Amino acid sequence: MTFDMPKWSRRSKGFRLNKDGRLGLILALPVVLIMGGLVFGPLISSLIDSFFRIDPMKAGTPFVGLKNYVTSVTDPAVVAAWATTGVYVVLTVAIETVGGLAAALLLNRITLGRRWLLAAVVLPWCLPPVVNAIIWAWIFNPSYGLLNGLVRAVGLAQENHVWFNDRATGLVLISVVHAWRMMPLTVIILLAALQSIPKELYEASRLDGATAVQRLRQITLPLIAPGLAIALSQSTVFAINLFDEAWILNGTATDTRSITIQTYIAGFQNLKLSLGMAMSLLVMVASLAVSLVYVLRVYRETRFE
Amino acid sequence: MNRRAFLMTATALPFSLGFASIAGAGGALALLLPPWGTLPKEMTDLYTKDTGGLLNIETLGWDEIHTKIATSMVAKKAPATGTELDWSWVGQFGAAGWYDDLTALVPPDVLKDMPTAAIFTYDGKLIGVPYNNDFRVMIYNKAHLDAAGAKVPVTMDELLTAARAVKAKGVAAYPIGLPLSASEGAATAWYLLTKAFGGDLFDKDFKPLFTTPDSAGFKAMQFEVDALKEGLIDPASTGLKDNEVQELFKAGKITFDLAGQAGILAVYTDATKSTVAADAHAALVPNVTGKSRSFGLPEAIGVPVSAENKDQIATYLAWMLKPEIMAANYKTLGVLPTRLSVLAALGKDGSLKDGEILAAQSAVAEPLFAQGTPGWYSEFSGAVQTALNAAAKGQIDVATAMKQIADAAAAAQQ
Amino acid sequence: MTLRATKRLFVNAALTLGAAVLLLWSLGPIYWSLVASLTAPNALVSDNLHLWPVAPTLEHYAKLFGATSTSQGNEVQSVWPQFSRALVNSVVTAALATVVTVAIAAIGAWAFVRLTFPGRDVLFVAVVATLAVPGFTVLIPLYRLMIAAGLIDTYIGVTLIYVSAFLPLALWLMRSVYQAMPLSLEEAAWIDGASKFYTLLRIVLPLAGPGLVACAILTFLSAWGQFMIPLIFSPSLATKPLTVLIPEFVTRNYVDYGLMNAAGIVAIVPPVILVLFLNRFLVQGLMAGASK
Repeated sequence: MTFDMPKWSRRSKGFRLNKDGRLGLILALPVVLIMGGLVFGPLISSLIDSFFRIDPMKAGTPFVGLKNYVTSVTDPAVVAAWATTGVYVVLTVAIETVGGLAAALLLNRITLGRRWLLAAVVLPWCLPPVVNAIIWAWIFNPSYGLLNGLVRAVGLAQENHVWFNDRATGLVLISVVHAWRMMPLTVIILLAALQSIPKELYEASRLDGATAVQRLRQITLPLIAPGLAIALSQSTVFAINLFDEAWILNGTATDTRSITIQTYIAGFQNLKLSLGMAMSLLVMVASLAVSLVYVLRVYRETRFE
Repeated sequence: MNRRAFLMTATALPFSLGFASIAGAGGALALLLPPWGTLPKEMTDLYTKDTGGLLNIETLGWDEIHTKIATSMVAKKAPATGTELDWSWVGQFGAAGWYDDLTALVPPDVLKDMPTAAIFTYDGKLIGVPYNNDFRVMIYNKAHLDAAGAKVPVTMDELLTAARAVKAKGVAAYPIGLPLSASEGAATAWYLLTKAFGGDLFDKDFKPLFTTPDSAGFKAMQFEVDALKEGLIDPASTGLKDNEVQELFKAGKITFDLAGQAGILAVYTDATKSTVAADAHAALVPNVTGKSRSFGLPEAIGVPVSAENKDQIATYLAWMLKPEIMAANYKTLGVLPTRLSVLAALGKDGSLKDGEILAAQSAVAEPLFAQGTPGWYSEFSGAVQTALNAAAKGQIDVATAMKQIADAAAAAQQ
Repeated sequence: MTLRATKRLFVNAALTLGAAVLLLWSLGPIYWSLVASLTAPNALVSDNLHLWPVAPTLEHYAKLFGATSTSQGNEVQSVWPQFSRALVNSVVTAALATVVTVAIAAIGAWAFVRLTFPGRDVLFVAVVATLAVPGFTVLIPLYRLMIAAGLIDTYIGVTLIYVSAFLPLALWLMRSVYQAMPLSLEEAAWIDGASKFYTLLRIVLPLAGPGLVACAILTFLSAWGQFMIPLIFSPSLATKPLTVLIPEFVTRNYVDYGLMNAAGIVAIVPPVILVLFLNRFLVQGLMAGASK
């Protein structure tokens, strides 16, 4: 039997389907079916339907053109939700990145018990988000919560503070809870990146007399840039989709409503389904745009491979 | 055991558990009820003893029940065989045709005994059997007032005076209890206060009447915001629903349950459930015109069209309407009976707390919407809740809040 | 002590302190919830701060698992039937989603790596790009699709949705696992006359074991924690998972903090067990996914 070149190394142009190609299509078929039927199809359906008025409580589905999109960018409640989401993105990404980098650097240095420390760090991410939010809601409880207890014990205040009365405090606390849950992801990504940096670079740099800060800035940060980009991109997309924390901690109150909560209210409480679809498509465009920006910058900056 | 066998067993196990569980759950009547409608164990046991049937009660917060019913029914799946049906949902759910006609299940003499059944009639069909004859009345803590040397207020100004006296004497830190979170209870309280200030929400063409500063609705919200700022209402109220305010009253932390549910007095005066049992009393809702006003918010049990086990619901409804069961529900849950004969009997034997006040208040309790609850009520109420919540937190002023509500009402009516 | 030794001591102290802060940050809130779930009701609503259970009691857990429960101060029917049903639902839906996702990803990713077929790269990029698509965008049309197909409130319906949500990450992960495996192993089998599919089943998959386990753990955890999807697609107890039931406890048992926290702790037991015993695979999996 002659040994032929493995078929996958030849670029097969055109539609010539060899045995491997057929097998590949068959094996990939479940993926195509599921993603096509449950993601791409609905996306297109969403797009088409967003140009109609679909409301189960009202008769008929008339064509309304861009009306839903106009509402999505002009309705004061929706605009406020966009602004709130923007705040969440900035706050959570900042906390997750700075905290995550610090934790990753720490974990990179520690060798004793790293496995267990890592398990503890990863735990918040593994728990159901609603349960996290309930746990933190208890901590923030005005009358009996840990936060007020600590604040009073330390002497910072005499009375119990109602944390969610103040919009700024509410936004910060929700961001903290979200960041608490998502930071492990950043830690893992950055840790993986840190571990791929060759030790010799640090040795050489130390011999040259560089300080720890200089080593961080000149070696570590540039070399983990791709990992940092992935982490930032993930954090941003998850922050744009923030729902559970804001919902459990502050319900439908307008001051902390994220855009996903606004979409939920429009679509599932007021049953304005096509408006909900238009809004969620805009959110998707925002998420994709962010991811694209990060991915492009990373591919442009690191010509490593 | 090799990996494949392990994986097989691991996946088979939940299935077998699941099937066992499915087999076990069949046969019970599924009900979806709010916290105050959830029967205690003694009542569910009594049901089993009387009828031989089993009850499976799912309790959900009132605000969540509406969304649950709407999303389930749009998907043509009944969330339970019998669900809560609030007076405010009749317009919306009736128009959507989601509920069965229950006229056949209620004997004509019982129907006559329940005037609130008229509110649950849509297009000639009775889509809900009323179980809670709720209307609002003011409930106060007599011990607090005595300690502060204040008298029971009749006007809104007297209410403020009494509250200030209670606070000044240190009897209660935050005397007035009002929910201010983005929930239906907060909206309901505002409606009541609008009536207390002598006005209404809409005119007969559903045009808003609350947008100008001298209107009753405006003054009502201003009252709430000012009282909060003055420290007469707990700042944590912006996160409290109406049943949480009830807990505060039971614990003796507030003096006035201003938008008190009429039946809840039974629970407030029950020493096993409340620490202020001896001191809770009802009074007519304060007003500015000399005539007290209130409105009715009855609740019913409805049967969704796509529900299962409908044979059992007839049994349940018949049992629920029995005079002794209605009386027992009043005593344990504070749910005011919807049958007039039962109310009269409770008044006669003294079980109806402050029966004369309740009767007087009930006489002046009107429906909130004389023309019948419109189908867009939920959307309107949602806007009220969030605007009130934002105004209470000081994020917008009352004028802006009123405008938001008016705009939302206009948008909802389209 | 030499300067170097002092410096090393200082560094070690700083590292230990950092580790302590990290532990406190990650585990503190969970510990606090555990304390609350074990504290007697009166002690819960007191003004004093206690960092350990003051009057330890198991009554909150008893209310979850026991013959009766409470609501509004009344003794009501046990919530155990609902709680146990929700627990079973969580396990079944998460397990089903995991098995199906890993199976499809294990085979599909291999096809993407080792075989060439038209549209391979475009398809892969498109599938992975859906990671950036928020669940919401497809939720409403999926809702209508499932209604039309009659799959609302069924295990099949929910599993399909979970699979479509978790497949991209699983594919990405398995792809990097396969790319790290040397081709020579498979080539040897092909030379011996084995078909590619047979090689996949008998040689590649067993070798990819750790990667498969990591993939399974990630998928299981993601499915276990889902809230939005079952909130809409699992309206009744037929398929309602714990993550939806527990917030409902919050709405009905607003002042029973002990019960709330106890329910929360029960819901996090399976993920905690997974992380404790399988964290090696989990971290490996996450890092494999992260580095490519």
